[in-house]
Amino acid sequence: MNHEVAITGLGVVAPHGDEPGALFQALLQSRSAIQPVFADLPKPAAAATVAFDETRWFTKLQLAGVDRVSQLAVAAADLAMRDAGLTASDADPERVGVFSGCGMGGAAALEAAYRGNGRVSPLTIPAFMPNAPAAHVAMRQGVQGPVLTYSVACASSSAAIAEAAKAVQRGEVDVAIAGGSEALIVPGVVVAWQAMQTLASFQPGEAAGAVRPFATDRSGFVLGEGAAFLILESAERARARGARSYATLAGWGLSSDATHLTKPDAPGQARALRAALRQAGLQPRDVGYCNAHGTATRIGDVVERNALAEVWGDDLDSLRVSSTKALHGHMLGAAGAIEALVTVLALHHRQLPPSANCREIDPDCRLNLVTQDDTAVPSLEAAVSNSFAFGGTNSVLLFRRA
Amino acid sequence: MSSLKELQDLIHEKYGIEPSKLDPHASMRETGGLDSLALAEFLFAIEDHFGITMPDEDANIDTLAELALLVDKVRAAKPA
Repeated sequence: MNHEVAITGLGVVAPHGDEPGALFQALLQSRSAIQPVFADLPKPAAAATVAFDETRWFTKLQLAGVDRVSQLAVAAADLAMRDAGLTASDADPERVGVFSGCGMGGAAALEAAYRGNGRVSPLTIPAFMPNAPAAHVAMRQGVQGPVLTYSVACASSSAAIAEAAKAVQRGEVDVAIAGGSEALIVPGVVVAWQAMQTLASFQPGEAAGAVRPFATDRSGFVLGEGAAFLILESAERARARGARSYATLAGWGLSSDATHLTKPDAPGQARALRAALRQAGLQPRDVGYCNAHGTATRIGDVVERNALAEVWGDDLDSLRVSSTKALHGHMLGAAGAIEALVTVLALHHRQLPPSANCREIDPDCRLNLVTQDDTAVPSLEAAVSNSFAFGGTNSVLLFRRA
Repeated sequence: MSSLKELQDLIHEKYGIEPSKLDPHASMRETGGLDSLALAEFLFAIEDHFGITMPDEDANIDTLAELALLVDKVRAAKPA
């Protein structure tokens, strides 16, 4: 039988802090966490970084060979388990899984190896390997079922959540810890992203408003770091143990553009959107909110708008859209997870985070963007979260009110 | 010259383990909780601290006292 998939726990370690409610409030108020970083780089750089106290989660001894990307994952996953009211002993460890997204792995470990003048930590490899975050979450929570890492660039953690949902739906696991982490705000990676020509340009003192999704004056994104995890379990199991369910993960769609390594493709994105709707058994007009991929690149936002227009057709105006990347940055491998978490909270509270920094919408991005003074949606029943990756993989998660 | 005190200080600074909590003759793995990865990192830190190169063949050292003897030997052999 197919189980309905309930979201019973949320955990986040983000530039806006480690409390989902506070994060959501910050987004509702359009508070940006983006700040200048690395003043000594040739070109001005900005990022959304996490004020993280690793001693809350690790002893000094436990930190041996644990990169920041894994530290953030362990913390966010632990917060999600606590939020769900679960401890390791509440489930058969063999029937718990970790499904974790990560785009790069331990960037700080690699950077330190390169900058060590020949002195390279013997733990650089275990610190760097992209599946280390999932492995550390598994060790911390005593998870003995499938512990898997999905590295699909910007769709990593969205794809991880979709895969986790499949495992819960089919009854392969009772509990899935699903999400992702990314921590690559180090000079070597930031200059590489600058060279890619996708990062926002900004004037001195204006970093906080640098990311302007769907606006005429948009110029790209800013990197963010952080981790977010959702606890997925079957709706029956959640009811049986009296757990709160924030939302139901009713559909997911995975597709590939198969056209270009980095150029997004509206038909490919539309295929993922349609697949998610089909699985949920919903029509486009049933979905009231889209947390857009919305990276604020010149091309990306237009393509995403066209994909939404293709699927929603005459109902496009009934779909409210915002990209919260304007405020928390692009968290790459963790982006799908934090945006899924935000989408779940939007449904739960029936309130939408505004699309920040859009003074004038680009006519080519014509969408019903959420504005600061119009965030309440008392009739909201379903919402989607879009994640479209370099490499052409598109992942869409569709949530319904529990 | 024994390096034991310096090693105890280093293990305290690096891993927060008080000298009184780790008997120099007890297993660092079993008593100190240093797994093979932490030990590898500790040897690396020792090399940095003393400016020495630890020989590979003695990597199966188990107690702090044994480690101190080896560090003494390597330091003594180090050209001035």
